[in-house]
Amino acid sequence: MHWSIQIISCALAAFFVALLLNQPRKTMLFSGLIAGLGYAIFLLLGQTTLGYFCATLFIGVACEICARLTKKISTLFITSALIPLVPGVGLYRTMRYLVQGEYSLAVSCGTDTLMGICAIALGITISSVLFANIRKSERKQA
Amino acid sequence: MADMHVMLDAVCLAAQLTLESGGETYRAEDTVEHMCKGFSIPKADVLALPTGLIVTLSGEDGTAAHTRLIRVRKRETNLSRLDACNNVSRLVAQGKMTAEDALAALKKIQKTPMPKLVWQVLFGALSAAFFCVMLGGMPEDFVVAFLCGLLIHATMPLLSRCHVPGMLGGLITGFLTAQITLLCNTVYPIHPEPAISGAILPLLSGLATTNAIRDTMKGDLVSGSARISEAVLTAALLAVGICIALSMWEGRF
Repeated sequence: MHWSIQIISCALAAFFVALLLNQPRKTMLFSGLIAGLGYAIFLLLGQTTLGYFCATLFIGVACEICARLTKKISTLFITSALIPLVPGVGLYRTMRYLVQGEYSLAVSCGTDTLMGICAIALGITISSVLFANIRKSERKQA
Repeated sequence: MADMHVMLDAVCLAAQLTLESGGETYRAEDTVEHMCKGFSIPKADVLALPTGLIVTLSGEDGTAAHTRLIRVRKRETNLSRLDACNNVSRLVAQGKMTAEDALAALKKIQKTPMPKLVWQVLFGALSAAFFCVMLGGMPEDFVVAFLCGLLIHATMPLLSRCHVPGMLGGLITGFLTAQITLLCNTVYPIHPEPAISGAILPLLSGLATTNAIRDTMKGDLVSGSARISEAVLTAALLAVGICIALSMWEGRF
């Protein structure tokens, strides 16, 4: 499948998730776009753990910036933008290997999935800590 | 100063709605603190957990304290409601809204329903289908993922209406997804991997995970670990459901 189709469908999927979660109308377009760009970064970096980390960091920072611009809370943007990155394929593959009795493959695939989740966690943490500190210093100046 | 009870009502309702609509616990606590500043209440203490909320408002010297405990049973995601709640608390914090007005506005927010079920099912199915293409699915996989999505998002509310615990619902939907995909695979050769993975993606709660991490980083260890266990259990049960279905079709995928 061509990468451009993948990115476009990622943006569309995130948009529909936003609709599903009853996200405010004005924020949907942002989340869709951010999700698409984030997935593009993930594909560019070759779907590795580093890719998960960088893509999540981008998504986190972009969502925080959007939240500042629209004066809304960042949770609104992050929720749907982050869902495409959740390693669903890894989870499915791990289960399939377990059923087939390929235990070593299951362990290696499961470890990769876990690393992906940890990288996502790290990315989102760094971006939110970064912006929380900016908020604090802004308040001190004011 | 307006009646303490009205303020307490408004503050508690705001925090409760925040927790019920998918807000982090620290956000619920912040909401209470900001609103109390807006109401110029001297001292406010709040403890928010994913499953409940305790608020104490007291006077200058610690007298005339009012405490309320609120149990939070529903935990759904309704971001519009979260946003509306946040707007009210922001107005209160800026001193632009009185306690009575805030309470009325919050009650109105509480009554606003989610979009119709038909739409939710359709949006869920479409997102599943596009996730499938994103993961490298072909047009025929798109159709199968769409069907799975329709079924999943129609089954979930049905299960919760029958009082099936949410976690067990994940197991059942995971099972159904894999079962249908593999059934379709026997009729017409498709790629089960992107179809199944795409269909379960909207169910793997990204929100629970990110909220868990944010709560933990804020130092709210209790809510953080509660949310982490929620996210892990949801994913694990979904995986077990898929696993059961796969083992029934062993050698055919």
